[in-house]
Amino acid sequence: MSGADGPELVAVEVDSDVCIGVGQCELLEPAVFRVDDDDGMGVVIGSGQLAAERAAAVIEACPSGAIRIRAGDT
Amino acid sequence: MTRSRPPAPVDLNDAGVFGDGIPHDAFAVMRAADGLSWTEADDRVGAGFWSVTRHRDVLTVSRDPDTYSSAVGHIQIYDIDPDALDARASMIDLDPPVHTRLRRLVSAAFTPRRVQGYRAGIRRRVRRALDELERNGSGDWVSTVAAPIPIGVICDLMGVPEDDHGYLIELSDHLVAGTANEPLEPTAYGNTTDLRLLPFNSPAAHAMASYALDLADRRRLEPTDDLVSALTAAEIDGERLTDDEVANFFRLMIFAGNETTRSAMAHLPLQLQQFPEVLAALMTDRSLLGAAAEEVVRYSSPILYFRRTLTRSATLSGTELEPGDKVVMWYASANFDPAALDEPLAFRLDRSAPAGSGAGHVGFGGGGVHHCLGASLARLELVELLDEVLTRGTRFGEVGRPRYVESNFVNGIERLDVAVGR
Repeated sequence: MSGADGPELVAVEVDSDVCIGVGQCELLEPAVFRVDDDDGMGVVIGSGQLAAERAAAVIEACPSGAIRIRAGDT
Repeated sequence: MTRSRPPAPVDLNDAGVFGDGIPHDAFAVMRAADGLSWTEADDRVGAGFWSVTRHRDVLTVSRDPDTYSSAVGHIQIYDIDPDALDARASMIDLDPPVHTRLRRLVSAAFTPRRVQGYRAGIRRRVRRALDELERNGSGDWVSTVAAPIPIGVICDLMGVPEDDHGYLIELSDHLVAGTANEPLEPTAYGNTTDLRLLPFNSPAAHAMASYALDLADRRRLEPTDDLVSALTAAEIDGERLTDDEVANFFRLMIFAGNETTRSAMAHLPLQLQQFPEVLAALMTDRSLLGAAAEEVVRYSSPILYFRRTLTRSATLSGTELEPGDKVVMWYASANFDPAALDEPLAFRLDRSAPAGSGAGHVGFGGGGVHHCLGASLARLELVELLDEVLTRGTRFGEVGRPRYVESNFVNGIERLDVAVGR
């Protein structure tokens, strides 16, 4: 998915069995993640695509380890 | 294979060991030892336990609840009976998936986005506290500033009326004192429950439960947008929470929201006195306030430890662990582990790794499912306090000698006399 003139993009997803709704993802990448006000869980908004480097940062920042790169999208 | 058991160099069950703050030298000895250090069984705590003192090991234990359980044994060092475990259990004493379902009932109220909505209320409480201290020119920083701000904020979230905040501070204080050597009378607050069934073995836990159920009854009749209303309305798999679940939830939130941030705030004048360059740096660049809040938490390590219990065999730093073994994660050691943090005894505003990540501090826990629910709220409270101090140009004069809470579990300060001016 890498373009010649842009950063490599990956798609991310949230493991709903693991997420505890801390919200670090939403803080770092508000265009990609949101913690649902009703069920308190992180969800991906839209395509879930972002630059690989930023995906790595948000995966690292998630305390529960609930975020991963979606298989088959890289 | 024989298990090597390097003995812990101090009696970790003796609150006096923590009487002057974190025993850094003892933890350095344990971090350098071969494997995990061992403390023998005794009648204060039951079975012996392993001390996890290295940063990387705290992360490993924190992130593997299938192996290192919060539910099969107590999360404090002393052992309690299975019926007491059940009676006391709140989400902090549970493992996934039950823990996860309970936590999501309240997690949305504590996200970085949502806590921004509490900023004005926090600032109001900060101003009121600093006004009072400045009016007197000097006083006890803990009772004037560090205690009322966090209890006020968490009580607002829960829906506790302002008039009752003092009562809940009193109860919360007794809970911690219950971990030390001065218990209340067993029948205090009209308690009739067997003490071993109550958190911290304290009658104050009974009083807090009674308070919670009374408040919950009122909110069932007239719900508001507070968290007690949310808990009374919440359903898990179509079932409402039981009275015990509501009461345990309430107790956990009041204790965790109050005691921890209070301890962090209580250490602030000591840290600013020891590192005077910090205020000057923040004055020049307020974008460093967030980094300062993280260092306040790391350096104070408000919760000294949590314990886990092994569900199966595992090896940690070369020590072979067996099912049922007790492991105690000393955050107060991992936060000063030179293998993970440069110059750990320095207060630095250029540490960039997020808390709980591979290289960040573990003052909010080492990541995993029990990572501090209120981390974003605590950060905001600390940032608002520091920002108001800077805005006013508050100067700290003489800072007295801290009187620490007698506990090996919380790094609390009971009293800290300070002089302030501008």
